[in-house]
Amino acid sequence: MPFATMSNNVHHQQTTATPQRYARQRPVRMTLPGILLALELSGQHDEELARRLQRREPEAMAALYDRFGRLAYSVIVAIVRDASLAEDLVQETFIRVWNRVHAFEAGRGALGPWLLAIARNRAIDHLRSLSARMDRNAYELDVREHPSLFVDMERDMVNSDHGRLIQKALAKLNANQQKVIELAYYEGMSQTEMAERMGEPLGTVKTWVRTALKILREELGPGVTA
Amino acid sequence: MTCDELRPDYTAYALGILEDPEQTEITEHLSRKCGNCVPGVASALATVSAMSGAVKLAEPPKDLRRRIVAMVSREAEESSRRSPKRSWVFFAPWGLAAALAIALISVALPGRHVNPDTAKLEQALSILNDPATKDVSFGEAQQPAKGRVYSHSKLGVVFMAASLPKIESGKTFELWVIPAKGNPIPAGTFASESDNTAVYIRPGPLEQGAAAFAVTVEPAGGSAQPTTKPFIVAGLT
Repeated sequence: MPFATMSNNVHHQQTTATPQRYARQRPVRMTLPGILLALELSGQHDEELARRLQRREPEAMAALYDRFGRLAYSVIVAIVRDASLAEDLVQETFIRVWNRVHAFEAGRGALGPWLLAIARNRAIDHLRSLSARMDRNAYELDVREHPSLFVDMERDMVNSDHGRLIQKALAKLNANQQKVIELAYYEGMSQTEMAERMGEPLGTVKTWVRTALKILREELGPGVTA
Repeated sequence: MTCDELRPDYTAYALGILEDPEQTEITEHLSRKCGNCVPGVASALATVSAMSGAVKLAEPPKDLRRRIVAMVSREAEESSRRSPKRSWVFFAPWGLAAALAIALISVALPGRHVNPDTAKLEQALSILNDPATKDVSFGEAQQPAKGRVYSHSKLGVVFMAASLPKIESGKTFELWVIPAKGNPIPAGTFASESDNTAVYIRPGPLEQGAAAFAVTVEPAGGSAQPTTKPFIVAGLT
């Protein structure tokens, strides 16, 4: 079952659990993407854009939004399924980049992956706060979006070619493996939480997660996992 | 745990779904800039980013771009208008921050609103000017308090903040060192100035395995463990 289609099932279960939260949501299309965002970034563009952001040029923020705004919004709205909340979180994502770009290595860093990590983390953080999963310290997600972790990464990996690649990789997973990847990516569920949701032993879920992620990394290859 | 033991969990960690003990172990390896785990997790983050390629594109509202650009434009304008005393927290290089901090410390040392302690000023300078000092900023759109934390593994911590919330009498701000493993460690209490800014110095070696700093509001005198949710969290990695 395709990754995006499976996420519909996940969302449906949540809607049933907390209907009041979704009363004002607009429907989100979660079918397979056709053509992904045209994010054909060049290394030079990334570097120059990062330097302009570091010089506090507001026009650079406009350029950053033009490149990544739609994808960041798409990731966030797919997770929180609330258009108006997604707007706030996109705004927070870009402001976070603006406030932290001084630590970004313009010559080596990959802006797109960094921004998308921040976007997803904002959305997952919001879900966790709703479901009282805040026992995990807030800084945990912070650690995963430090600019120093986004260096020497392929900069134009967030483009249509890689979109097709990830779809192809996801298609190689069996239904259970796809399900755990869905729960991980869209809901940030821990493996224990997945086991509870799916009614399966923790060990089994851990095996599905590890195997699925291993397959994805192998399929995506060194181009992505540089 | 060894890097070899942790390697299979890098991608789960990058996704934020890993649990302890592996989760804490990897954070600890990252905080000490482990030569195996940093590139391993970076590579895993690339995989997670690539997964955004499977998300169906949605169309953001047309004025979202305008609002974001307007917000940073306003901040950039205010920053250029502000006196250096106000702008250091967010934009000035740390060298300038060091110089300005000296002026601020004279009125903002906790419990010392006059007659600054020269030894502490020297400690602050030594922290701010040491090349090994790390600095992290905090403060986002929905988190009004903004500022920076400068930390040195041997010399101590300098905490600078603006836009701190008003707190009722009988309460105080408390700084915490959050270790990668274990409970938060109290790092001292401080008060804000009338303009809601604060500069606080905690001299002495940084606790081993420190992964983040946090600030909470506590009863006067401070608490042994946080009794409220942190309103500032600044990761060190």
